[in-house]
Amino acid sequence: MASAGGRRGFDRARQKGHHGSAMGRPRVVVVKSSAVWTPAGTLDPAVLARMFARGLADLTGERDSAQAAAAIFRPGERVGIKVNTIGGRAISTRPEVARALAAWIAGGGTAGRDILVWDRTSRELRDAGYAISTGRSDVRVFGTDAGGAGYENSLTDHLDVGSLFSRILTEFVDASVSLAILKDHGLAGLTAGMKNYFGAIHNPNKYHDDGCDPFVAQVFDAPPVKSRHRLTVVDALTVQFHRGPSYHARWAAKFGGLIFSRDPVAADHAGWAVLERLRRDAGLPTLEAEGREPSYLRTAERMGLGTSAAEVVETVVGAGP
Amino acid sequence: MNRRSFLRGAAGAGLALGAGLPAVRLRPAASPAGPSPSQVEARYYVKLPDREIECRLCPRSCRLGDKERGYCGVRENQGGAYYTLVYGKACTLNVDPIEKKPFFHVLPGTTALSMATAGCNVNCKFCQNWEISQVRPEQVDHFHLSPEAAAAKAVSSGCPSIAYTYSEPIVFFEYMYDTARQARSRGVRSLVVTGGYVNPGPLADLLGVVDAVKVDLKGFSEGFYKAYVRGALGPVLETVRAVAASKVWLEVVYLVIPTLNDRPEDLRAMARWLHDTAGPDVPVHFSRFHPMYLMKNLPPTPVSTLEAARETALAQGLRFVYIGNVPGHEAESTVCPGCRQTVIRRLGYAVDTSRLKKGQCASCGTAIPGIWA
Repeated sequence: MASAGGRRGFDRARQKGHHGSAMGRPRVVVVKSSAVWTPAGTLDPAVLARMFARGLADLTGERDSAQAAAAIFRPGERVGIKVNTIGGRAISTRPEVARALAAWIAGGGTAGRDILVWDRTSRELRDAGYAISTGRSDVRVFGTDAGGAGYENSLTDHLDVGSLFSRILTEFVDASVSLAILKDHGLAGLTAGMKNYFGAIHNPNKYHDDGCDPFVAQVFDAPPVKSRHRLTVVDALTVQFHRGPSYHARWAAKFGGLIFSRDPVAADHAGWAVLERLRRDAGLPTLEAEGREPSYLRTAERMGLGTSAAEVVETVVGAGP
Repeated sequence: MNRRSFLRGAAGAGLALGAGLPAVRLRPAASPAGPSPSQVEARYYVKLPDREIECRLCPRSCRLGDKERGYCGVRENQGGAYYTLVYGKACTLNVDPIEKKPFFHVLPGTTALSMATAGCNVNCKFCQNWEISQVRPEQVDHFHLSPEAAAAKAVSSGCPSIAYTYSEPIVFFEYMYDTARQARSRGVRSLVVTGGYVNPGPLADLLGVVDAVKVDLKGFSEGFYKAYVRGALGPVLETVRAVAASKVWLEVVYLVIPTLNDRPEDLRAMARWLHDTAGPDVPVHFSRFHPMYLMKNLPPTPVSTLEAARETALAQGLRFVYIGNVPGHEAESTVCPGCRQTVIRRLGYAVDTSRLKKGQCASCGTAIPGIWA
C-alpha cells in the first residue's frame, strides 16, 4: 500500500522562514494514520517512524532526514524533548512517540547522548510508561526532580510570570521540542504544545487563573523557552476532547494523528481545530460556546509568538512502507 | 514499556554511545527528610461526577480533575478523593520571639515554636518567604512532625505557643487544626499568621481551637489584591470581621509598599474600617517593605511614610498602632492609652522593659487588651 495519500497543499519549498515555512508563511503538517494502531491496540513503531519522517519532511521541505533535521537543529546541539506525562498512562505523550522522535533526531545526526526526554518528575514519567534512564551513553529519560537536575536558583521574572525554570531546559539542552499531548482543559480550554512548558516551571499551579491567559504565552515568551524552542509536535493519537485534562474514556478518541509545526501558535491552533472536530462529532458545543476557548493563543499571537493563519497540510500515512 | 525496551528502540534507531549531558542521579524513593508527600484526606471539599472535586477551603473554589492540584500546590485530587500532601510535613521549624510574628499583645517576651509547610493560596509579588510558600512540597526539604510531636516539641522547647506562620497555614489546615488541638491539651496556645483568604466555614472551625490570629491585610483595594496578591480583598475583610467577632485575639499587619498601597486616603479608609469593625483596641502594625521576590524594583518604605500611616490610623481612633521592620523605632513599644506612658518597651524583637501588671498599666491602671498570661 502506498504510504502517501490524501496529501494536499504540499510544495517542496526551498526557501524556509523562521517557522520552517514556505515563502514566509508558517506551516502546520497533520499526519494521520489509522494503521498506527495494531490489532492488539498498541502502537506500530514502524508506522510511527514513517509518520515522523513524512511529517518532518513535509514541514521542512526536505526529503532526507539529515537535511530535515539540519533545518531544525544546529550541529552539535543537545536536544530536549519535553513530554507531558501528568495524565498517567492513559492520556500522556506516549513513550513510543517520544522514542520515534528521538530516533528521528538521532537519524539526522544528533548523538543519542545529546537527546534528553524529560518532564517535571521521574515519577510522572514512570507512571506514563517511560523507562527512566540516567546513564551517559544513550538517550536519557528523567524528570527535573532527579538529583543533579532541579530548578534554577534564580527566578526568571518575565512580564506577569515569576518562576524557576528546570535546569534541564536552561542548562542541559540547547534546543527544545515540545512533544505535547492534545487535551481539552477545563480552565485553559486546550492543552497542547505551548502549555506543555508549564511543566518546565516550578509553580504552574499559580498560572491557571483567567484561563491561563496570559500566562501560557508569557511562559513561552520567557527567554529559557523562547530561545530554545525549535519544534512543536502534538501527539494526537488519542485525544481527550472533553472534560480534560484528566482522562475520561468516554470523551477520548483515537484520532491517530501527529501535528508538526515550527510555529507554536499555529501548532496549537491546529490542535484546537482537531479538538473542535471531535467535539462536534460527539455532539458537544464548541469551547467558545462553553466560555473557555483558549484565549491565550490570541495573546500569544499578539505577542508575536506565532500565527493563527498558517498553511495547514494534511497527510495520511498507510500501513505499508 | 520498560527501560530496556526504550533503550533498545533508541539504539536500534542508530543512537550513538558516549558521554554528553551532565550526570544526574535519581532521588531515593524515601528519606528521613521525606520527599514523598503525605496522603491524608483533605477536609472541606465536595466530590463531583467523573472523579472531579471542588475544594471549599478557600474562596478560589478550585475545581479539579483526577491528578490535578489546587492553586496552593499542596492539595491534590487522586482518583476523585482530595488529599493534603503536607500533613505532618513541616519544612520549617524555629523557636522565634513572639514579637517576630508579630504579636505584640500576646505573651510578650516569650518564644513561639514557629512552623510551616510548603504552599500558599495567593501569590504576592512581594512575598518574603516565597522559597517555601510558592513551591510544591516535593520541591523543599521537609521532615515528618506529627501534631503530637509538634505540641510536645513546644513544651520541651519552653514555648508557651505554637505559631503557624512563614507560608500560608490555611493550606495546611488539617495539620494546623490537629496540632492546635494537641497543643491545647498540653496548655500550649496556637497562633495563626495568615493572609486571611479562607472560607467562613473552615475559619469558624479553626477559631474553635486557636487563640490568636494575625491577619496580613495586604492592601485596601480589590485592584491591589488582583494585581499584586492574586487574590481578593473581600474575603479577607470577612475573615477580619469574623475573628474580631470571636473570642480569638486579633492583630493586623499592613505592609506598606511605596507607591502601591500607601495612598493616604486608602490608609485612612482602612483604619476607619478596622476601627468600626474590630474596635479601637485591635493592634495594627504598619510594616516596612523591603525589595523581595518579584518586586525588587521598589525601594524600602521610607520611615516617614510609616510614621504618616501610623498618625493616620491613630487619628481614626485606633489605640495601638505600631511600626514594624524598623528596629529601634519608638513605635515598636506599647503606650498606655490612658496615661501615655510606655507600658512595654521593645527593641527589635526583644522586650526591654515591661510595666504591665496583670494586664493593666502599672502607672495608671488602665486595662491593656491582649493575652498576657
